[in-house]
Amino acid sequence: MNRTSIETAVGIFMLIGIACVGYLTIKLGRMQLIGGDHYTVSAHFQSVSGLRIGASVEMAGVPVGRVEDITLDLQREDAKVLLNIENHIKLTDDVMASVKTSGLIGDKFILLTLGGSDDLLSDGDEITETESAVDIQGLIGKYAFGGVE
Amino acid sequence: MQKALLSFNPVAALGRLTISLVQEIGRIGLFFVRGLFHIVSVPLQFGKIIHQIYFIGAKSVLVICLTGAFTGMVLGLQGYYTLSKFGSEGFLGAAVALSLIRELGPVLTAIMIIARAGSAMTAEIGIMRISEQIDALKTMGINPVRFLVSPRLAAGLISFPLLTALFDVIGIFGGYVTGSILLGINSGIYFSRVESSVRMTDVNGGFTKAIVFSVVVITICCFQGYYTHTRKEGFGAKGVSLSTTSAVVISCVLVLIVDYIVTSFLL
Amino acid sequence: MNQPLIQFDNVNKRFGDHNVLKGVCLRVFKGEITTIIGKSGVGKSVLLKHIIGLMEPDSGQILFNGEPMAAMKRGERRRLERKFSYMFQGSALFDSMTVYENVALPLKEKSRLKEAEIEKRVLDKLEALDLLNIDEKYPSQLSGGMKKRVALARALITEPEIVLFDEPTTGLDPIRKNAVHGMISEYQKKFGFTGVVVSHEIPDIFYISQRVAMLEEGSIFAEGTPAEIQDSSDPVVQNFIHGLMAPDRETTGMESRKACEVHFLQERSRLNRHGTPFSVIVFTFDNIDELYEKTGHVGGQNVMNHFIDMLRARLRITDTCCRYGLNRVVAIMDGVDNESAGRLCHRLAQEMTGVHLAIAEPGSDKCFRISAGIADVKAEGNLEDAVTAAIYRAAGLYEFQVCE
Repeated sequence: MNRTSIETAVGIFMLIGIACVGYLTIKLGRMQLIGGDHYTVSAHFQSVSGLRIGASVEMAGVPVGRVEDITLDLQREDAKVLLNIENHIKLTDDVMASVKTSGLIGDKFILLTLGGSDDLLSDGDEITETESAVDIQGLIGKYAFGGVE
Repeated sequence: MQKALLSFNPVAALGRLTISLVQEIGRIGLFFVRGLFHIVSVPLQFGKIIHQIYFIGAKSVLVICLTGAFTGMVLGLQGYYTLSKFGSEGFLGAAVALSLIRELGPVLTAIMIIARAGSAMTAEIGIMRISEQIDALKTMGINPVRFLVSPRLAAGLISFPLLTALFDVIGIFGGYVTGSILLGINSGIYFSRVESSVRMTDVNGGFTKAIVFSVVVITICCFQGYYTHTRKEGFGAKGVSLSTTSAVVISCVLVLIVDYIVTSFLL
Repeated sequence: MNQPLIQFDNVNKRFGDHNVLKGVCLRVFKGEITTIIGKSGVGKSVLLKHIIGLMEPDSGQILFNGEPMAAMKRGERRRLERKFSYMFQGSALFDSMTVYENVALPLKEKSRLKEAEIEKRVLDKLEALDLLNIDEKYPSQLSGGMKKRVALARALITEPEIVLFDEPTTGLDPIRKNAVHGMISEYQKKFGFTGVVVSHEIPDIFYISQRVAMLEEGSIFAEGTPAEIQDSSDPVVQNFIHGLMAPDRETTGMESRKACEVHFLQERSRLNRHGTPFSVIVFTFDNIDELYEKTGHVGGQNVMNHFIDMLRARLRITDTCCRYGLNRVVAIMDGVDNESAGRLCHRLAQEMTGVHLAIAEPGSDKCFRISAGIADVKAEGNLEDAVTAAIYRAAGLYEFQVCE
């Protein structure tokens, strides 16, 4: 094995490896190569049970962003969710965010429903109107044990 | 000394064991630090590093592709039958991708490299030790750790993540082959599940593991070869064979132990 | 005496229960070749490894220019180690590298020479050692003797100040053995390095060394010039030296020097008692260094051996002839007076002048000059005195050229 063929083999190996790393990080991990094509808004929910970081944010079934962070707001005693929204999606200040479930026991996601206001939300603003997750187990329990009128 | 032989003291034996264990860990640690330091000491050894990447990385591509493909395929098969019990075959993509990227990719890649390159590394350095070649390096004023260990360490740090990524990608496609082509899951659903379930932290975690494993594997394998001559239970060729065996066993076990530790830190 | 370059001061070393070195005191002087002799397994290699720092003494110290090596700072120690070169007993060649790469490695790693300059030096060295056509081979493809020469080339490539040879000629055939000795001696003269040689090649090694130390039972048993050691009256030393000299005749077709001395003494006493004449002829190869340069060390030794063969063919069975130093051959002929010895030399000169020893390519004008001197044997004095006298008288007496 002479020097050049070793170098060629190593070159090919590096190319294949870097292509795989690229696939994993950019396509699957959605690494943002260039920042600034997203903006962040926050929303407070009574309960985000089942929602996790990375869940999608949808409008009319179309993904427009993802959940960036979920924290507990101790002062307001509720959950604070940071939403990462694509730049070209303009949200009005009366937009409503609700935690929904895809299917009966599927993943939780955030559904945004636009209102009729003219004022737009910008980076760091808060969505005031929110709807918490439906507590399916609670509902079933009520139904089963006769709590429903 | 005579007294210690006559009356066996279990507490002292435990102490002795602990001391020798700590000493051994310290020696391995120092060995690693020396190797790491000499990666960046000038003049850089590009030629040797490329040679080692060829040996550790490029020559492992085929075996990694094979094991990756079949691991992904068997995951697809097992996952399909388990998930279909709950009627959620659609999650197959997520199951395959996450188990590969988080766990199986780094661990199986490390074990394949131990088998292919790690054992060879120990044997090579061990033979150099017993045939006085390492002493010859010293007499020429060449630092043997710099000459032998540092290029391997550098090549390992580069090759392990790349091979792990290759294993993951091939595995995901392997899962696609069984899940989608053989068992009929919609290919769009498979890949959209793969994409929506994997997060950057999973990918980063996988690479962190790959890098930690590379350090563990290369250090252990080089260390065992380098100190072949200090073995008490076998000399010469016998010593090299014992070193190779223990290098493979110790690094495989350590990979699994370290995997648990790293996982518990990452989660 | 001036200060020794390397000095062992009461050095002890033990491996497990085995006490290898017990208070070794040894001095090595600058510009000299010091030979360490002794039985196998007596710790000669261990001694050598202490000099270069591959082993550290358990107690005692090793002084370099009067400074203890253990107390040196790291940088100082490293600078010192750069002056050393070590030729291993088992060659210790890098078996994954070619011969060329092996020899070039010390230069590549430790010097700032350009690639072309390294190549030139390596090829020069390989050529000098008759290894030029195997530079692309790997050590496992070479014979033991070739490996030794590659190791020698590697040890000398950096032009070190101090070279340690651990049995440089063990396992070589007699011609190559003398070639390696000649090379060590020649390079030592050329570069003036200080050499420490561990060797079993008695008496050949005496010709090239200035000091000899005998290691026995873990300490230096005897130390002195080669002549002092050879003339030592100590039975242990004598036993050791003669035990190794005996098989000489088998391998080189010549008697040992001891045999020559014995023959000389016999003849001298016969001369004293009966007046039977005998003569000592000393043949000196005048331009051996030049010859080595032209034909390589093996070639030079070959030419010499051919000459010795021709000489032996003209001697009678009762005559003795032996090597006396690197470039001298002594013949002792009984019953021949100086006049007929002179005639023999004359005839030899006539016959041999211009004779072509068919060893190298024909047409080359590589000749060597031999001058022959006849000793005027006196009633007293030993062989050495006779030889010295003969050398003194040799100049311009009988000179002839033998060409390849």
